[in-house]
Amino acid sequence: MFIDELDRFGAEDVQLCYQCGDCSTVCPHADEVYKFPRKSMRLLQMGLEQKLETTLEPWLCYYCGQCSEQCPRDADPGETMMSLRRWLISRYDFTGISRMFFKSRITEVLAIIAVALLTGAFLIYYGLSGGSISIYDGEGAFLPSTFIHRFDLTIGAILLVFLVLNAIHMWYLVMIKGTPFNVPWWLYLKELYQLPWHFFTQKRYADCEKKREHKVYMPWLLHLGLMLGYVTMLLLVMVFIEQLQAGPAILWRVHIFGYLASVGLIAGTIYFIRSRFKKHYIQYKKSHGTDWVFVTLLFIIVVTGIAQHVFHRTGLYEPANITYVIHLMSVVPWLLRMPFSKWAHLIYRPLAMYFSAVRREALMRQVSILNSYPVVVK
Amino acid sequence: MKESRTGVYVCMCGTNIAKIVDVEAVAAYASALPNVVLARTYKYMCSNPGQEMISQDIRDHQLNRIVVAACSPNMHERTFRAALRSAGLNQYLFEMANIREQCSWVHSDPKEATEKAKALVHAAVSRVQLHEELESMSVDMCPNVLVIGGGIAGMTAALELADAGNNVYLVEKANHLGGNLARVDLTAPYLYSARDLLTERITRTFNNKKIHTYLQSRVSGLTGYIGNFRATIESLNGKEAGNNKPDEVEIGNVVVCTGYREFDASRIVHYGYGKLPNVITSFELEKMIRAGRIETREGKIPKYVAIIHCVGSRSQEFHSYCSRVCCMTALKYAHEIKSANPESYISDIYIDMHAFGKGHEDFYRKSSEAKTLFLMYEKGDRPVIHKASPKDDCEMLIEVNEKLSGEVIEIPADLVILMVGMEAREDSYEVARIVNISQDKEGWFIESHPKLEPVATTTDGIFIAGTCVAPKDIPDSVAQARAAAARILARIAKERIEVDALYSEVNENLCSGCRLCNQLCPYSAIEFIEEKKHSHIISALCKGCGVCVAACPSAAIKGRHFTDQQVLAQLDGLFVAG
Repeated sequence: MFIDELDRFGAEDVQLCYQCGDCSTVCPHADEVYKFPRKSMRLLQMGLEQKLETTLEPWLCYYCGQCSEQCPRDADPGETMMSLRRWLISRYDFTGISRMFFKSRITEVLAIIAVALLTGAFLIYYGLSGGSISIYDGEGAFLPSTFIHRFDLTIGAILLVFLVLNAIHMWYLVMIKGTPFNVPWWLYLKELYQLPWHFFTQKRYADCEKKREHKVYMPWLLHLGLMLGYVTMLLLVMVFIEQLQAGPAILWRVHIFGYLASVGLIAGTIYFIRSRFKKHYIQYKKSHGTDWVFVTLLFIIVVTGIAQHVFHRTGLYEPANITYVIHLMSVVPWLLRMPFSKWAHLIYRPLAMYFSAVRREALMRQVSILNSYPVVVK
Repeated sequence: MKESRTGVYVCMCGTNIAKIVDVEAVAAYASALPNVVLARTYKYMCSNPGQEMISQDIRDHQLNRIVVAACSPNMHERTFRAALRSAGLNQYLFEMANIREQCSWVHSDPKEATEKAKALVHAAVSRVQLHEELESMSVDMCPNVLVIGGGIAGMTAALELADAGNNVYLVEKANHLGGNLARVDLTAPYLYSARDLLTERITRTFNNKKIHTYLQSRVSGLTGYIGNFRATIESLNGKEAGNNKPDEVEIGNVVVCTGYREFDASRIVHYGYGKLPNVITSFELEKMIRAGRIETREGKIPKYVAIIHCVGSRSQEFHSYCSRVCCMTALKYAHEIKSANPESYISDIYIDMHAFGKGHEDFYRKSSEAKTLFLMYEKGDRPVIHKASPKDDCEMLIEVNEKLSGEVIEIPADLVILMVGMEAREDSYEVARIVNISQDKEGWFIESHPKLEPVATTTDGIFIAGTCVAPKDIPDSVAQARAAAARILARIAKERIEVDALYSEVNENLCSGCRLCNQLCPYSAIEFIEEKKHSHIISALCKGCGVCVAACPSAAIKGRHFTDQQVLAQLDGLFVAG
């Protein structure tokens, strides 16, 4: 049954819910149109998959954990919403890879190792065939920056294809299958600003503190830092890799972003790893297998990236090249995994905010049209 | 008669009375009334110092009439009567004026409320002047007890009474003891075996020499009054055998434990009971469980089982009340079916989950943990059961308008269990008529006070216990049975029983023997004496309700403590003050 399947995604306690609605009352984001977590819990209990895959509610939750703290039955609504997000990611993904990863940690780890080894083999083969391990850049380099640039763009293109196709699938499920009323095209234009707004501010995450007596903005700030660092780094690697890798002179206009992004990534990563160990907030009490894979991989990337930079700057070209290979061995599976993992929420969440705003507008419009009819339909 | 010396006490009831009624003004007004020797106010008249004040004044000032202006006599009349008794004054030389419920609690204008309080006190003072010294009488208490119904409640009451050494006549309609509980396998929420609960009771009942068990019998008549009843027990199977000699027994008290019957599920057409073979009632499932195999009519193990709650209960069409045991029983079925067949899926279709008792909430939680699918339906919007089409992998489909999600869904079912509610037995009217107790609109027997007298009835000496009073579970039935037994044992221990002095009397010289009152008496307390050709009131049965007093065309009946003169004096007092 569906409820058993969701167990594997982390929703272990959902059957305990008896629909008192405390969670929706305490939630700073739930409103009349988007009634969660209660309604989402209910649809899940009843096994209404077809309905659930068209809902946006799981994306509207940032897991502040107040619902789970409040729940009189320990049904853990916050974790259920998290599990539903994992499940939705697997639903949007038409390849089925994501589903495999979420349901089995071993498959995921093996896939990551396989991709890492393949990448390593390819890079070493390429490096040895045209260059020397003791040359870092320029003529006869082990991994010349022009080659890395092409390599990055290839990986980026693959990533983009999956993400765009999954996003289109999401749009279809949410806005076509799950929206029984007419959505005029211009509403998409009118609400378009929502995308960059939510992407860069994550304002709703800050709103999670709205109903709290003692407001804690730390998780939001760190999450924002982590996200901005990540995006900056992605941009640097994809577009400015040649300037970044070039030496010996430092290009401060490029490097300053690299350092800032690193600070954001390190602070965010350490905070979230520490939280998952210490479990001092309810949202870190339960960690899904994929959460650990995610933070561990991120940690390796950050450490090897910094090490590589230090070696390069201090003129230790051999270790710089070796750490570079290790760095790329973890970056490639990490990037390729993105459309199939939790990190896809980077795209899905702003999209969900956008779609939810469009859908709400369209619904209001529909209601006002209905209300303008002279006959009251019961 | 001695000269009247009346004392008036005005209670403040904390601030309950004093905040609206000017109690000092009322006391001053009362002290000026004829025959009033003193009038006092006090914070709490019902408190020990308050009562002590009355007793002391009676002794010091030779008071012989007392009026307390306080709350309702229902609340504290007994308290103040006791104060009079302790000072050696007859307890009936007392009257209460209700200046709380009838004044301070219902009026907001202090001035008018005070005037009304004065009027009520004046009425009470006028009335109390005519009060007479009355003595309550006492009758012998026969220690034998009749218990009607041999279910868990009946047997428990019988054992409790017999263990104390009294003869008990236990009359059961069926040919075995155990009642409805004998049809059940396990009990919720602790899953005790019903059989274990019963066999111990049944064996002890049969082995107890003090209990005379009459199986396949009924009580066909009951005459007399508390302490002195005479019951006729008639054999039901004896009719055919020709051995039809009813037994006459002497008893002092009766416990009625006639139980319930289950609702007839075929009355709800939506559910197709009787038409769809795999729609069964809870009792039919119990039968299967006791036989050790839960299966469909076709002999298959059901994969999808649906349990529907409130069949016949909580609906305006059938019974508006909750049957109280079905929710937990349904959870018990979910548990039993899941244990018998872990592959099965159970949906529990309910209106509200009533998990009110000890251990019930935990049992509910356990059922949730076992992944029972709970679906809520709206009271008026019952689920509908259809036959499934051959391409579905189930026997039936149940259409539910699920309230919590707002979705209309169809769920599969191979076996549907209807949680039939409890209703009053078809012969409850006959029982009520024989033992002279009342029934409510649903047919349940009415207790004398729903909170404070849950097992007594308005007929003295007749007690009710178990599910003939209202739907209830085993612990509650047993508790009621034991409560009834305890009440009776306390009376038996006293050997004699006090009868309230407030009964009516027939003046034989005035009675014309018209017999009008005989039919009117709601307590069957009036008999007609043929040889003297006049009616006579059995004081032990009379409640002093006054129906006969009002009806008598010859004004031959006097309601003691409610004489015409007393009532007229009260009215005079009221109007003089007004």
